[in-house]
Amino acid sequence: MTAYARIGAGTQPVIVYHEVVKRYGSFTALDRVSGQVNRGEVVCLIGPSGSGKSTLLRCTNALEPFDGGRVLFDGVELPRAESEARHVRRRMGMVFQNFELFPHMTALDNVAVGRVTVLGEAKAAARKRARSLLAKVGLSDKEASYPATLSGGQQQRVAIARALAMDPEVMLFDEPTSALDPETIGEVLNVMKQLADEGMTMVVVTHEMTFARRVGNWIIVFDHGRIVEEGPPAQIFDRPREQRTKDFFSHLGWGG
Amino acid sequence: MNLDWTVAWQYRFMLAEGVLVTVLLTVFTMAIAVPGGIVVMLARQSRFAPLRMAGTAYVEFFRNLPLILLVYWAFYVLPMIVDIQLSPFATGLVALCLNVSAYNAETFRAGVNSIRRGQHNAGLALGMSQWQVMGRIVLPQAVRRILPVLASTWVSLFKDTSLVSVIAVGDLAHNALQIRSQTFRVLEMLTVMAAIYWCLGYPQAKLVDWMHRRFGVSE
Ligand SMILES: Nc1ncnc2c1ncn2[C@@H]1O[C@H](COP(=O)(O)OP(=O)(O)O)[C@@H](O)[C@H]1O
Ligand SMILES: [Mg+2]
Repeated sequence: MTAYARIGAGTQPVIVYHEVVKRYGSFTALDRVSGQVNRGEVVCLIGPSGSGKSTLLRCTNALEPFDGGRVLFDGVELPRAESEARHVRRRMGMVFQNFELFPHMTALDNVAVGRVTVLGEAKAAARKRARSLLAKVGLSDKEASYPATLSGGQQQRVAIARALAMDPEVMLFDEPTSALDPETIGEVLNVMKQLADEGMTMVVVTHEMTFARRVGNWIIVFDHGRIVEEGPPAQIFDRPREQRTKDFFSHLGWGG
Repeated sequence: MNLDWTVAWQYRFMLAEGVLVTVLLTVFTMAIAVPGGIVVMLARQSRFAPLRMAGTAYVEFFRNLPLILLVYWAFYVLPMIVDIQLSPFATGLVALCLNVSAYNAETFRAGVNSIRRGQHNAGLALGMSQWQVMGRIVLPQAVRRILPVLASTWVSLFKDTSLVSVIAVGDLAHNALQIRSQTFRVLEMLTVMAAIYWCLGYPQAKLVDWMHRRFGVSE
């Protein structure tokens, strides 16, 4: 049926959602969501705010328990027990809208703390790794800085380095540029683009349509806790089939 | 009126000893009641309901009893329950710790709750356990925030230790009152006692004010 060869098609998907249901009281935030993320893909989740994108992301690494359906990571169903969930979480990196850097640690220690605490690596080795990651995101000169002294864009780049420090198999981004001043959005998107070019598997919740279109390989449109439609960027952005997708784009002032 | 201020000098060693006991009581109480407060706070946040209820019961019970009643209780009733005879100092310490731990538990709870949920999630997302998140991420930030409150508790405690004098702990209040009853120098001894408490307490209070300014309004 699909006329497009999806990246990683035919290999085991990194993430599979199968009829995932999430309720908050009587409100259904995720309504039987099914889909998948293949290895090496950049999947962008777009849609109106309140449509359940963040909820799906939090269900992906078991930060949020869900009420029905299944999520498979690397072919294995997410564990329900908190004690086991952490073994899955450390294989996925997560980047938050509000950065959530640890304010009582330097940029370097923010990046190193996961390796020390979770992997039990020696502090010196962890810091060495952290140093190279800060260099990768262009912040070598900010090692000793505390988050409060960094700009939003710098903080978010440290947060990306922090997530990368765990050598994740997939990176989850929840509106990584929504809290940023316009002039620092670019530096964060560039780092993300670089990651994508290196072949990192990424799930990105974003309102940056230009980024989704240029960097994304697969677009999923969300509305009211459901997938409205999905497909490659060219299809979704140029020839959306669903009226709700068109409404969403015109609401954003994006194209036809 | 015939005033004789030399009694204070005459009994200086007894007064100094009293000061030492008061300071030690304050230091030991806080040294126990800070970790004690953290333990009670963790119990109240536990996923295990009986532990949670025990923690809440503890706080609500000991926070709402007059300290002096606790002191008497520890002196008369405690030895009947647990079959050991504690020294007056240790008895006073127990009473103070029970009370201050309950207060500290509430202070820590407020501090921990003031740390955004997102910080918790950021730790968990790295693969940290709940305990690691608490120990590495939440508590260090919470402690910084509640330092001024803990300092205020300290200053109150310093004065409240005088309540243990009723069970003959040789603290400053007790010793000063002893001297008074031996010498009948009521006005002199009460004045001297007030002067000593004030001279020791005032710098502490100033330090707390400074901490409120320095750490109070962070973020
Ligand atoms: N903890 C929560 N309690 C109750 N409702 C929630 C909670 N988290 C999210 N929701 C609701 O679920 C819906 C989806 O939220 P979210 O996933 O954050 O949307 P999006 O990220 O697409 O903006 C929203 O209507 C939101 O109000
Ligand atoms: Mg969201």
